[in-house]
Amino acid sequence: MSTVHHDPATLPADDNVNPYTFCVELKGSQWFLQKGKMIAYYGTIDFNGIGHGRLDRLVRTSFHSPLHASDWVVAEGSGKMLLADRAFDVNSYDLEDGNLTIRSGNLLAFQPSLALKQSIVPGFLTLIGTGKFVAASNGPVVFMEPPIRVDPQALVGWADCPSPCHHYDHGYMTGLLGGLRAMTGLGGASGEEHQFEFVGAGTVLLQSSEALMPEQATGVTPQQAGVPGGGASGAPGGRSGVPGLPGQLGDLQRRFGL
Amino acid sequence: MKAKNGSMVAYDGEMAFKKLSGGGEGIRGMVTRRITGEQMTVMEVKGHGTCWFADRASEINLVGLQGDKLYVESSNFLAADAGLRTGTSFTGARGASQGNGLFTTTVEGHGQVAIMSDGPAVVLRVSAQYPLTVDPGAYVAHQGNLRQSFQSGVTFRTLLGEGGGEAFQIRFEGDGLVYVQPSERNTIAGDV
Repeated sequence: MSTVHHDPATLPADDNVNPYTFCVELKGSQWFLQKGKMIAYYGTIDFNGIGHGRLDRLVRTSFHSPLHASDWVVAEGSGKMLLADRAFDVNSYDLEDGNLTIRSGNLLAFQPSLALKQSIVPGFLTLIGTGKFVAASNGPVVFMEPPIRVDPQALVGWADCPSPCHHYDHGYMTGLLGGLRAMTGLGGASGEEHQFEFVGAGTVLLQSSEALMPEQATGVTPQQAGVPGGGASGAPGGRSGVPGLPGQLGDLQRRFGL
Repeated sequence: MKAKNGSMVAYDGEMAFKKLSGGGEGIRGMVTRRITGEQMTVMEVKGHGTCWFADRASEINLVGLQGDKLYVESSNFLAADAGLRTGTSFTGARGASQGNGLFTTTVEGHGQVAIMSDGPAVVLRVSAQYPLTVDPGAYVAHQGNLRQSFQSGVTFRTLLGEGGGEAFQIRFEGDGLVYVQPSERNTIAGDV
């Protein structure tokens, strides 16, 4: 590997320097980025917390998860800025008048022309509008077309298609034996009995490993009836890849008529 | 050549490995390292053949030195040609902000140095018209005639939890190269 020496003239504008480093060019413009993802910059760039008074208007138009704001900063100025995240793969994506929902831990930075909102799905964020954003993934990202069923740990996000639903392998789940098997793991659990199912037109983004990136808090949703994740009651509907412990227990109890 | 202790993974040909106490810098070097806390255990590898070095699957970057000086954190140093002199130097507030102590390792002379980073390092050139600012957690090494200064953006907002997220930065001015890794070590600045 011969070493390439970069300077502001040779660094790409809004493109990858290598698979793990992304360069953003600022010309008096602004970018939202997650705290601590900037590794170096040329030029004069200011970093301000979202709560900064001057940015109030910007936040009102393009930042809609109020309680999540303290994890984000706005970079403002002119120069070139390098972004990276724990040596994970990073890539930029363009949205054109579209919407994309992404796992909160994977999103690194985005242009203020996009609006960031909390997704109804807990742990996910939705970007709406036109612009560029940068996301990290564990291994390169693969784009798939629905209808498709995906492994919960490999899912990075989805664009333009309706929300996914849970899918359980039916033959595996039914009957008393099935219930016992699901509970105890005895009798051969393949680890793939539960998937996310996508239908309709759109794109599904998958990472090429099943190692999840640590999740970022997306902020609490209002405690209201009918808001997923917002209600005070404990965990409505098992939300993650573990073939639902609470749910399963209920199933089994029902089977035994308890 | 000199290499970090225990970093050899394989070799062919004839090799002998010998631990160099105090980084092979003599009694004075040994004392300096002990005092400064910039400890580095290195071994001397002698012989002929090919020797492979690796450490925890970190990315390895080769740096060629032509009589200039490379400043590298001892935790990022993997191996160097025997003809290169290693030593310690004072870094000031930058080291403190990285949690790596106030001192750093220097490598000087003619030859090749292997340094490690978390992910392939990006080499950034600093010149008179292009000063560079680096996050302390991503800094790996630098070489050339560079002045570094420490910038702190800690304001009352930081204390309110509304900081800019990049409260501590190192600014490089002058003429040289800076190596940054696409990852941030945990630093006291990391979460501010």
